[in-house]
Formats: sequence, structure tokens, C-alpha cells
Amino acid sequence: MKTVRILHRLLIAAVLTLAASAQQKKDVLNLFCWSEYVPQPVIEAFTKETGIKVNVENYDSNEKMLAKLLAGGAKYDLIQPSEYVVESLIKQGRLEELNRANLPNFKNLDAKFTGMAHDPGNKFSVPWMVGSVGIVVNTEKIKDAVAGYADVFSGKYRRRIVVLDDNRELVSWALATLGIPINDISKDTLAKARPVIKGWLPQIKAFDSDSPKTKFLKGDVDIGIVWSGEAALLWRETKGSGKFKFVLPKEGAHMFVDSLCIPKGAAHRENAEKFINHILKPEISALISKEFPYTNPNTAARALLGKEELANPASYPPGEPKLDIFKDIGKTAREIDRMMTDLRSR
Amino acid sequence: MQAALTPVARVKGRRPGIIGWLLLCPMLLWLAAFVVVPTLILAYASFTHADEDTGFPVYRRARSDGGTLTLENYRRIVLDDDGHFLRTEQEEITTMDPDGTERITGTRSATVIAAPYLRVFGNSLLYAGITTALCVLIGYPMAWFIGRASERTRNRLLMLVMIPFWTGFLIRTYAWITILATDGLLNGLLQYTHAISQPFGMLYTPGAVVLGLVYSYLPFMILPIYGSVEKLDYTLVEAALDLGAGPLAAFRKIILPLTRPGIAAGVLLVFVPAVGMYAISSLMGGGKTPMIGDVIQNQFFTGRDWPFGSALGITLVAMFIIAFALFAKFRSSVTDSDDTLRAG
Repeated sequence: MKTVRILHRLLIAAVLTLAASAQQKKDVLNLFCWSEYVPQPVIEAFTKETGIKVNVENYDSNEKMLAKLLAGGAKYDLIQPSEYVVESLIKQGRLEELNRANLPNFKNLDAKFTGMAHDPGNKFSVPWMVGSVGIVVNTEKIKDAVAGYADVFSGKYRRRIVVLDDNRELVSWALATLGIPINDISKDTLAKARPVIKGWLPQIKAFDSDSPKTKFLKGDVDIGIVWSGEAALLWRETKGSGKFKFVLPKEGAHMFVDSLCIPKGAAHRENAEKFINHILKPEISALISKEFPYTNPNTAARALLGKEELANPASYPPGEPKLDIFKDIGKTAREIDRMMTDLRSR
Repeated sequence: MQAALTPVARVKGRRPGIIGWLLLCPMLLWLAAFVVVPTLILAYASFTHADEDTGFPVYRRARSDGGTLTLENYRRIVLDDDGHFLRTEQEEITTMDPDGTERITGTRSATVIAAPYLRVFGNSLLYAGITTALCVLIGYPMAWFIGRASERTRNRLLMLVMIPFWTGFLIRTYAWITILATDGLLNGLLQYTHAISQPFGMLYTPGAVVLGLVYSYLPFMILPIYGSVEKLDYTLVEAALDLGAGPLAAFRKIILPLTRPGIAAGVLLVFVPAVGMYAISSLMGGGKTPMIGDVIQNQFFTGRDWPFGSALGITLVAMFIIAFALFAKFRSSVTDSDDTLRAG
């Protein structure tokens, strides 16, 4: 009897949920974003203000997002790709044009991060956060001055190095060391980069794109090339004691711009634009920065950040570093995969 | 029903009636929809070209473009860009100085498999092979001990074998990272007891990968061997000992053949998943040696080449089919030796 009663209740609950979701169908936003990138309070504030329910789905690499998006099936209203993916999606006509009239808060953005090469008029994308890839040094273990990739792989730090588990990153560092532009990827330039990377690989202790900071904190590595956000978290975790130093490589570094875009045919375009405008508000954008200390492209939001946050050199590197964004390389990605598999599988 | 079953019918096996087939239907449908059909799609995709932008398989292509189907993907698995299978190359010889820095002291030439992806298969098979061998060596005595223990102890020990499954696989792997890290528990303990003066890096080495693999797959070796040991009629062993066989001969001639089905099942249960595993190599090995699982995944994401990924997947499936065929042969030879045992 008890089982029947429980089943009965479950049935009622299921029917109610279905009815509720049918009713709310209009007021939803299907957000497909990076994991560890959109703080819960930002979403809650949005739902509270607009009544729009946000369904969040996460991915951990641009390529996984692309594969899911292009395979169809799931319908997303808002995605969060990096610049080279934005470029390729625009090229393929897979993004909806944004209606700037619905985005009054766009004016809050720093002009440095708008109108960039991947989307010159910001017709399709609005920057979310900006970061770079740089060198982290544990200054308690390594006293030498480290200024660039060549210093990291000088041979002095064999098996003490962590690098991003990202083949294109490694190739771009090798190209930068050779003085070749990081987006100039062809059979020819790859052949030049090959011996450089071959010399680097045996020196590396671990590849990690997810949480290289943990390896620093556990003492497994003393030096590495990682996301600036990871470096900023290390800096924050050691309370800015200077134990972990962040250096942008003198050979030039990769800067990434993650943006919000609306995929073609999205069902809730208006809600998506409302969300974009929402995160461009200074107080909301500052909320994101407090949780994930990347470089905030929002000038008005930066004004709301504390001294401590702005002093974090990994979030806001001093000076005018040499930074380049990645360009879409299309099928040359296969050549990189092949060369790196060849080098790494011995 | 039972009375109608003559001993002869039982030996030959009764043919399943219509009800039997109906009962089997859900599973057959499941297999068809989620195993057979996807595998066929994968097999077809492995002979196609990749779309330039997305990397998806192009299921239809004009004849002027070279047609839809190609063997190129398989060629790329077996041969390198220049069409070589083997390649001779110069390798650096490094020696470790007393202060721990490595120096290049010379070169030697070595012949290697030229195709990178084939080498990845080789690496995965090697790791899986070492893991399986270690699991047999460690798991067999454990399974024997558990199987021969009194029923109360046996149940408790079996429980202990299965307890790790109560926690997620990833959580257990992260636990190992905490133990093996340079500032981790094990180094801390060794330094505290003055066994070592400097912490040493155990994590992110091939040894750590093997440790992680053996740890994860050991229960899958113990359980089937335990099954055989428990069923083993110990009077046969006693008879062998009475008739003058030494413990070693009794083990080789009686125990081993009778527990061989358990070993075979254990080997299969460990080897097959160990070949395809990838999380452990990146978490505990630092991702230095690419495993076939990682490389296949890469083709679908960063590599943007689904047909090539499909070809790698199909090759892996083919290898498993061969492994199963060998396993079946092993089983049948076991039955043969059972017969000789009875005849003798």
C-alpha cells in the first residue's frame, strides 16, 4: 500500500513539473558555458530581475562545445566561445547578429577589448573575460630570473615543469621562440617548430589544462606555463606573498578573449540579449571578477573592484605586454595533432 | 516440466521456446540499437573524408572529388606521412650526474614504428599488459586465500574487496594523488620517519600510471578467480598430494588448470578496459604518454577529424574482437584439459 502511495505522489509530482515547464517555456534561457566561469549569484540575480529561468550546461574546451553545437540536437540560446572559435563560427554563418539597441550597457566595455580582429564591429560577440597564457615561477625554489619560454626550457628545470595540455599552445610557444608569428601555422613552420618542441618534451613533468595550480601548491612542479587565471588564483591563495610570480613571456604571449554569442536559430534570442546586457552591468561584472580573477574588460566594473584584486599581476599585468589572439586555423589543426602525437608517443 | 527433462536433453541443451526469445527481446533490441547500429555507423564513417570546417564525416561526395569512400584513415594509422612502417632514428643517450642534472652523452640509432598512432596503440597495449600481469600476480594469491577461508571470513574479505566501489572512481584516483604528491602523505611519512631526507617525485611517472591501473582493476581480477577457487574441489588437490605430487606439481597440474577459467575471465575483464582507459594516464601520469583513449577523443575535438577518430575506434574494437577470440580458444583448451583430467 505504501509503495502505491509513493508512486502516486511521484506521478503527481511529475505531472506538475511537466505542466510548470510547459508554462515557463517562454521564459527560459539555455546557456552553454565553460565550467567554473559563470558564478551562481550572477545567474540568480538575472532570474530574480527578469523572471527568466536559466538552464546551464557546461563544457571544458572550445572544441567540445563546437562538436555539440554543430552536431545539432540540443538547442542553445547563448554560448561562450573563445576568439578563434568566434571567428570560425562567423565565417560559417552560424551566429545571430546582435541588436545593439538591446545592449545599452555595451558602453561599459574598455575600447581595447572591442572591435578586435575576430569580430571587428562586435556584431556577433560581446567579450566576457580576457586572459592570457604566461609563466608561473615558484620563487622559493627558483631564484633565477625567468623572462620567456627559452628560460623555462633552458634545461635547468628538467621534470619540474607543468604546461597546458593543449597542443596548439605548445606549438605557438615554439613559434614565438623562433620569432615566427603564432598564427602562422603551416607544414613549413611546423617543421621548424618540431625540433624545438622535441627538446622541450623530456623536460616536462606534467601536462595539465584543468588545474595546474594544484601541482604548484602540492610541490610537484616549480615552474610552468599556464592560464593567467590559474596564476591569479595562486597569487590570491598565497595572499600575494610573492611566492608564485607571474611573467608574461618576452617572446610574446597568447591572449584569449572569451565572448558571449547567440547561435543561429536560437529560440530565445531576446532573453539571450537580456542576459548579455545583464552581465555588462558594472556590479554584476565585478561579481564575476571576484570569483574568477581573469582580466575584466568592463571599465565600469573595474572601478568597483578592490585594491587587492587590481593589484593581482596575473589579472592585470603591468606595462604593455606583447599579446596576440589565436586565429582560426581550420584543418591545419590535424597537422598539429599528428605532429604532437608523433612527438609525445615515444 | 522438470520431469519431462531427460538427462540427454539437458546435455544437448534445450532450444529456447518462443517465451524465451520474448524475454530476450529487450536485451537484443538494446544491443542492436546502442551497440550494433552505432558500430556500423562508426565503421562507415571510418571510410569517409572529413569536412574541412567541422571535421564531421562527409557521407556523400562527388565522384570528381574522389568519391565518398577512402582507405586513407586506415593508411594513416599504419604508415607515416612518407608511407613507412618502420623508421630508424638517432636517439640521445642521457646520463644522470651525481647532482641530479641530466647530460646528453651520445647518440644511438634505434628502429621505431614510424606511424605515431600505431605507437600509441603499442603504448596502451604495453600498459594494459603490465597491468594485467601484475593483477594476476597480486590477485591470484588474494583470491586463493579468500576462497579457502571459512565462510564468515570469506564474506568479510569479499566485502573488503568491494568496498572501494562505494566511492567514485575519480575520487579514488584523486586520493592517490594526495598520497603520492611531492608534498603528499607518503613523502611526509617517509621524511618524518627519516627514511628519506628529500621528498621524491612519485607522481607523474609511468610507475604511478601502472599503480593507478592495478589499483583500479584488481577487484576485477580477484572476483572471477575467487569464483573458480571457491568451486574447486579440494579433495583433488589432496589426492594429488597423497599420490606423491609436491606442492608445486599439485599447483601446476591441478589447481592452475581448474582455476584457469577464472584467470581467463579476470584477464579479459582487466585487459580490455585497461587498453581503453584514459583518465588515469592524464591524472596520475601527467598526460605525458598519450593513450589511445585520449588520442581518439582528440580526433573528435581539437583534431577535428571524426572519420579518423572512427577509424581508430574501429581498430580498437577489432583488437577486442581478436582478444575475445583468443579467450574463447583458451576456454576450449581448458575444457579439453578437463576431459583429459577425467579420462586420466
